[in-house]
Amino acid sequence: MSAVTGHPTGHPTGHRRPAVGELAGDRRRSWPYPRTTLGVAAAAAVLVPFVLPPYPLYQVTLVLVYVVALLGLDLVAGHGGQVSLGHGAFFGIGAYAAAILLWLGVPYPVTLPVAGLVAYGLGHAFGRPAVRLSGVYLAVVTFAVAVAVPPLIRRFAPGGAMGLPVRTPGAPSFTGLADDQWVYLLVLAVAAAAFAVMRSVVRSRAGRSLAALRADPGAAELLGIRPAATRAHAFAGSAMYAGLAGCLFTWTTGFVAPESFTVNLSITLLAGIVIGGLGTVSGAVVGAVVVTFLPAPGLVSGLALILVLAVAPGGVTGLARRAPALFRKDGP
Amino acid sequence: MLEIGRLTVRFGGVTALDAVGLVAGQGELVGLIGPNGAGKSTLFDCVTRRRDPDDGMVLVAGQDVLGLPPHRVAACGIARTFQHPAVFPRLSVRENVMTGAHRFGAGGFWRAAFAWERERRLRARADEVLDLFGLLPLGDHPADGLPYGVLKRVEIARAVAAEPRLLLLDEPAGGLGPEEALALAGLIRDLHRATGMTVVVVEHHMEFVLGLCERLVCLDVGHKIADGPTYLVRRDPAVIAACLGAR
Repeated sequence: MSAVTGHPTGHPTGHRRPAVGELAGDRRRSWPYPRTTLGVAAAAAVLVPFVLPPYPLYQVTLVLVYVVALLGLDLVAGHGGQVSLGHGAFFGIGAYAAAILLWLGVPYPVTLPVAGLVAYGLGHAFGRPAVRLSGVYLAVVTFAVAVAVPPLIRRFAPGGAMGLPVRTPGAPSFTGLADDQWVYLLVLAVAAAAFAVMRSVVRSRAGRSLAALRADPGAAELLGIRPAATRAHAFAGSAMYAGLAGCLFTWTTGFVAPESFTVNLSITLLAGIVIGGLGTVSGAVVGAVVVTFLPAPGLVSGLALILVLAVAPGGVTGLARRAPALFRKDGP
Repeated sequence: MLEIGRLTVRFGGVTALDAVGLVAGQGELVGLIGPNGAGKSTLFDCVTRRRDPDDGMVLVAGQDVLGLPPHRVAACGIARTFQHPAVFPRLSVRENVMTGAHRFGAGGFWRAAFAWERERRLRARADEVLDLFGLLPLGDHPADGLPYGVLKRVEIARAVAAEPRLLLLDEPAGGLGPEEALALAGLIRDLHRATGMTVVVVEHHMEFVLGLCERLVCLDVGHKIADGPTYLVRRDPAVIAACLGAR
């Protein structure tokens, strides 16, 4: 079986992307120093609790909490190309699951898997019927979930509208760490694991299936990809990430209240991932910073969302990714 | 390998396919020709379950295809390409081809993420196919932004990666220059010889099919007007009037 010879394929023409990587346009090499960046970021992340005073440390911990939520949301929004307005609710469900278990005196390590599983199960329950229908239905169904959850919490959860204060995880005495440093390191470990898992999911057959379904469901289905099942698993996994993030939120703040998990949170999360950049892990990090530090969630994040969509559809990450090309002679 | 009987498709009042029969034996390379609107792509759509025919039957390797859901079509050994290449723009060329081999991948959504060994084998297999199509240097390039001719080849490579028994090519030479088309015909012929799969090619480009296929089937407004060896069909007055004469 001989290949066609004398056919020029090595140097194609018609690039629309700026040439940056080893082969022009290789998106994985678009940022030139991925390993170095990751190594420096990891080292900095471990040093943070020993450098920062308590309140900034608390804020950075929250950033990591939102990173986990946005990594999950990005699986649906960035890779699947669908809109979920319910991730604030899954976040709240995870947070309350953890808080109620802590309130009942369950040791905190148990709360994380339980919060994740509860959100995963609910994600399946709501996602499975919704993803069978076209994209906008998922937005409507998840919006309904986001609207319904806070009143349910107010009515049925311990603490009611007043909220529920709980004990945050305490540092084991042998470590010699303060409690907030310990919580930070716990959250960092979970976020790092969440990051690694999500990276391998989106680079695997599962991630390819999602991208294929998004681009051309008909062609994807012919290759053996099951649209409903794939999207449902992605949505449930995404909800699970939101639930895990909610549990980390409870560990960090030691207080949950229904007002923290309204539709506003869902919209802020969605705005965060779009502003950060869809379909990239670094977009989740930038988005988490946005979610944590935006002064007035709602109006400001809405305006920021519009601004980003108007000037930089790739989000902040998309801008940064294009930046190296701007400094090249043959840039765009 | 492919047996189509009395296949009928109506769009409102228009009959796109009128009781068309077509049989392609194991390892045959059949050209399906006809003017625009003859029903060629509609026939492919029925075989690949994108469209439900109003009547008729489709068997592939003795299995009734019309009872299958679309995602089972690949497992049945059928792969196709589209008139306009349906490549996935956000995936790299290699990932596109690996998506073609989806059915050989590990089971569920979450298991797939940790099936490193399976993934490595898929990748190696995709690289073999890429090499065959001369696409290996472009493996990491996103499909988005590649020239049309390359996309056509990526799409065929993706279909071949599914290791089909029956390969349906919808206008593979459409939009290609004469040299590119010639090279592609050579590639399809080599592939067909090496794998022994059954290939059905829909094409407008007459030189392309005349040079490539041993057998031609001609459709015209939903009817089969000719079926036989290429050298006979190309001389058939009805075929000349419908397809060749128009040129």
